[in-house]
Amino acid sequence: MMSQQTRRTALTLLLLLLFPVSTLAQSALQRVRQSGELRIGTDATYPPFESVEGNEFSGFDIDLGNAIARELGVKARFINASFDGIFPALQNGTFDAVMSSVTITPERSASMLFSDPYYDSGQLICVRRESEGINAPDDLKGKTVGVQINTTAQYDLEKREGVTVAKYNTIDLALLDLQNNRIDAVVGDAPVLKYMIFKSFRELKTVGHRFTDEKFGIAFAQGSEDLVREVNTALKKIKETGEYDQIHEKWFGEAAERAAEQEASKTKPKTVDFNLARRLLPLFLSGILLTAQLALISLALGLPIGLLLALMRVQSSRLIAAPAALYVEVVRGTPLLVQILFIYFVLPYFHIYIPAKTSGVIALTLNCAAYISEIFRAGILSIDVGQMEAARSLGMSYSQAMRRIILPQTFRRVVPPLTNEGIALLKDSSLVSVIGLTELARTGQELASRYAAPLTIWPMVAIFYLLLTFPLTRVAEYLERRWKTVTRS
Amino acid sequence: MCGQSRLTFTFCLLPFAFDMLRRTRVKLQDTVSSWILKLNQEQDVIEVTDIVKRYGSNTVLNHATFQIQTGQLTTILGPSGCGKSTMLRCMNRLERFDRGRLKIGDVEVSGTEDKKLTPAEEKELTRRLRERVGIIFQNFNLFPHLTALGNCMEAPMTVKGMQRKEAEDVARHYLHKVGLADKEEHYPAQLSGGQQQRVAIARALAMEPEVILFDEPTSALDPQLIQSVARMLRALDDLGKTLVVVSHDMNFARRISDQVIYFEGGHAVEAGTPQEVFGNPQKAETRAFMQSFQEDEPLADAQPNADKLQSNALETNLGTRDNLGQEE
Repeated sequence: MMSQQTRRTALTLLLLLLFPVSTLAQSALQRVRQSGELRIGTDATYPPFESVEGNEFSGFDIDLGNAIARELGVKARFINASFDGIFPALQNGTFDAVMSSVTITPERSASMLFSDPYYDSGQLICVRRESEGINAPDDLKGKTVGVQINTTAQYDLEKREGVTVAKYNTIDLALLDLQNNRIDAVVGDAPVLKYMIFKSFRELKTVGHRFTDEKFGIAFAQGSEDLVREVNTALKKIKETGEYDQIHEKWFGEAAERAAEQEASKTKPKTVDFNLARRLLPLFLSGILLTAQLALISLALGLPIGLLLALMRVQSSRLIAAPAALYVEVVRGTPLLVQILFIYFVLPYFHIYIPAKTSGVIALTLNCAAYISEIFRAGILSIDVGQMEAARSLGMSYSQAMRRIILPQTFRRVVPPLTNEGIALLKDSSLVSVIGLTELARTGQELASRYAAPLTIWPMVAIFYLLLTFPLTRVAEYLERRWKTVTRS
Repeated sequence: MCGQSRLTFTFCLLPFAFDMLRRTRVKLQDTVSSWILKLNQEQDVIEVTDIVKRYGSNTVLNHATFQIQTGQLTTILGPSGCGKSTMLRCMNRLERFDRGRLKIGDVEVSGTEDKKLTPAEEKELTRRLRERVGIIFQNFNLFPHLTALGNCMEAPMTVKGMQRKEAEDVARHYLHKVGLADKEEHYPAQLSGGQQQRVAIARALAMEPEVILFDEPTSALDPQLIQSVARMLRALDDLGKTLVVVSHDMNFARRISDQVIYFEGGHAVEAGTPQEVFGNPQKAETRAFMQSFQEDEPLADAQPNADKLQSNALETNLGTRDNLGQEE
């Protein structure tokens, strides 16, 4: 496999194609040598190749990457990034290389460089333990088969007639659906399927042999030829000294499989594992903090901007109102995801470099400001015109009347819809995982595949989101109570 | 060298000198205008001359012309749709008019087609006009998020820049005058229609305008409150305010007015004392309107200040004319 990409990536690449690739003054190898570190991007949701717990990366790719860096005389630094955004980030120089179970394909070779292959993989079929009759790809005819979206498994199956392909965001969700009897089989990378089955899908089994040949390679941005040469030399040496075999044995050898099986037989896997949940609790902390931070800062910045836009839009002067209307139209009419990608990945082509977190905050702020402005506008328009007339007739200027009479009444009315917007923002903030920010949802995704325990992890994620919305709801209730317009004595 | 620096120094002083001159001039102007105003005490405070206003092809005001004297209570009477409310709104610049001239005190307003104003001039004109003219809306338009006291304090603070304490005193003073001393902390929604109207009156009074406009003061109230409104208006009249009331209620107009202007088709058809207009209308339109109107109860003998007006629960706190006069 692996080409865990979603449709989003296609979109990103499309955006990137519109802009020329920037040329770096320094060669890639010079940069690595000078800084003393090799920055490797990886999507750590794919054990046993790469996974992460807290800040500890582990897996076959990780060990190999460390060995290569050592041969180059530098240290490897792994940077966790969602597969959606991993190649654009490679192109704009966020890392020097990508090691993330990337299958070498002609399409990818056209836009980036690859090292020599470092792992031979292939697709395997997985079915329920009791099912019979599916042993080879030809038996899948007339069946519904689950795959991870945009993987080589999907491309292969779509070429076969009579196979209904069901696509999932991550492989553990496909396996879960198979276990729940909704689909007939799952096709995926052999080592990953085996790992997942040992970990927690004991009711499933693999059948037959690998039916495709795929090679994983390390990906580099174009222009890094010197770095690729050095890495290939290092890789060759690691293979010659037998270190490669050691690493391979550690992760895929019979000993590893036996150890996994032994561990598996000791502890019966549970669908919902409370012990695991308790153990993983602290690992969520940074994700929760990041999500809360993103939502709060964006909301705090979005409120004044939204108010300003609303005030502009209610002006009779087209010169003032039109730009605000245009802004709302554009921002509301385009997906938040594209806005995030644009700020983080496209602006660097104009030599505007904004760090991931700041990019996330900017995108969320600009996005929520558009929605907030419409809430404020509706609130302002809902105030009887007589209020403005009364204020003006007393001699107040327009801005005095706005500030002292119209807006105080508006604020009272917009608290409920603003609360909605705040909560929506909190949940929408999960989209920033595409630019490599490990917020709450991304933390969940990583841990769910690391422990192959989606049914334990996702409810936890849901509860954390719920807990995060709680203070927001409380604040809203407090404001409503405090500002309650007296209606009856 | 020395001469040059002295020259520079003189130039630096020029702006201050200009400013001083300007201030002196403004002061002088104010003195003179207040002097003239005193001379004109018995003269017309409001002059409406040939005002025309159109909404598209619909002519709302059609060469309206009338005068109102200082300190008088004038009712503009007429059928609905005759343009009387628009006329009132023009007098507060809530509406602009196309042609003609409006003079209130020393403020003169020309039709937008006769004289183009820059935004700054328009702003200044509106400011000066509204400083002199308050308005009580048909549905009062109180600020629902503020208490009765807050409603009356807001404009003195924001417009006149009064300190909170001072504004509070002013607001209290006028709330007391309209008989709502005990409702200061009530919100508009907690007050009856009649009480809301009085808060609106106190709110306008707190800005101490010379002229107060009333848009249909009786239409939003129960019939039994009309008498109390009449009494309130007379009391205001005695404060020396010039009052202009728009109404279609003939009984009411007859009872309270010093002058009645009959309005129809966007212009003043006839003006005079209530006795003249009701007793002996000169124009056919006025007569037709009078005929369509049926007197429910004979009020011919009702005097503006008749003290046989029923006392009403809401009125118990309303100061009599005497104490209003004293307090002023």
